[in-house]
Amino acid sequence: MLRITMAGNLSGTDSDYPKVTMETSRQTRMTVAWPWIGTAARLGLAAVWLIAGALKVGDLAASARAVNAYQVMSYDTAKVVGAVQPFLEIALGLLLLIGLSTRLTAVISALLLAVFVAGIASAWARGLRIDCGCFSSGGELGRGESTAYGVDIARDLAFLALSGLLVWRPRTRFSLDGVLLGEK
Amino acid sequence: MSKGKDRAAKARQIVADQRAAERRRTVTLWTSVAVVLVLFVAGIVGYTVMSGKDEGKLVTPSVAVDEGTAFAVGSGPVVVDVYEDFMCPACGNFETTSGPTLKNLAGAGKVTVRFHPVAILDRFSNGTEYSTRAAAASAAAAQEGKFTEFHDVLYANRPEENSDGLSNAKIIELAASVGLTSDTFVTAVNEGTYQPWATKVTETFSDRHYTGTPTVVVAGQKLDNPTTEALTAAVTKAAG
Repeated sequence: MLRITMAGNLSGTDSDYPKVTMETSRQTRMTVAWPWIGTAARLGLAAVWLIAGALKVGDLAASARAVNAYQVMSYDTAKVVGAVQPFLEIALGLLLLIGLSTRLTAVISALLLAVFVAGIASAWARGLRIDCGCFSSGGELGRGESTAYGVDIARDLAFLALSGLLVWRPRTRFSLDGVLLGEK
Repeated sequence: MSKGKDRAAKARQIVADQRAAERRRTVTLWTSVAVVLVLFVAGIVGYTVMSGKDEGKLVTPSVAVDEGTAFAVGSGPVVVDVYEDFMCPACGNFETTSGPTLKNLAGAGKVTVRFHPVAILDRFSNGTEYSTRAAAASAAAAQEGKFTEFHDVLYANRPEENSDGLSNAKIIELAASVGLTSDTFVTAVNEGTYQPWATKVTETFSDRHYTGTPTVVVAGQKLDNPTTEALTAAVTKAAG
């Protein structure tokens, strides 16, 4: 977006219209770049949720076991969480893909990711030997397989950064938000 | 005078800004409502799919032990719980390397082995849910007094992950090769009589916070690495 500022009559012309003044070129470049960076972040985060959800939705029983493996809730609760989670992830992914209420979906993404990071950290702290179940139906960790909590948390923090970026700068290209607001 | 025009332009700009702000507020409100609704509906869909899953009538094999979730082999004082999935490669290895030892210990009256046929690998059989079908079939075999024979022949013919698994016809054929030919068995396999039971065994396994197969528990202590040596040592220790 170009910033439109009131130039007033400084130039001495008699125009009715405010003048468009270019800010310093570096700022302008960033102004132009931000929506594109945001678009990449939005589509990237959408892909993350869609893939994460799709990999779990086919086997809800396994998803429930993956949640239960964290040992933070009863099996019956884990069953519900395990069933609801993949559908939520897919819905979030679709909402981000079309760019509807990007700031809100980014906030919800950030909250979910924060919960995931907390869960993984807690499993790590308690010395559990589980697969995080982030991009799979997880749970089962084979013999000789080692845990990857550090990598899992780092990855989730990277996704969290994408969400944060979108909370900060929710205006992106090719979004329904843009269409509804009459932006190009 | 350009001052008047300037003020008019300013006023127009302010009105335009206000209109734009108003539009932003409206759009933000309704898109937020839409997002919340979509996520709510998605959650409901997940919950409905889960609770709507027809798990059928639970038929617990009368010969099952440990709250009806396992089959006992031997009657020794030390209890060894073995949780296995009929498709799991690591379980196949465990059966090959430690299976004979386990049977010898049971035969010598040292241990009671409780086999828990869990089904955690259903997603690796191209939708045929081999893990559940095999676990259910093993219950039908146990009911006919042939659990060990059937269990062994299934592991001897263990299908690879991401294959279709063994068909029901193949399962019945293998059962026949170990002398399991009763109509009751064949019907139970074809109708999936014990499939809800297999699900229950799996849920019990998860409820006990076990996550992988094979899980081997000797006298209540889970073996971190179920090798034959670790198994023998744990049994000796538990026997005192």
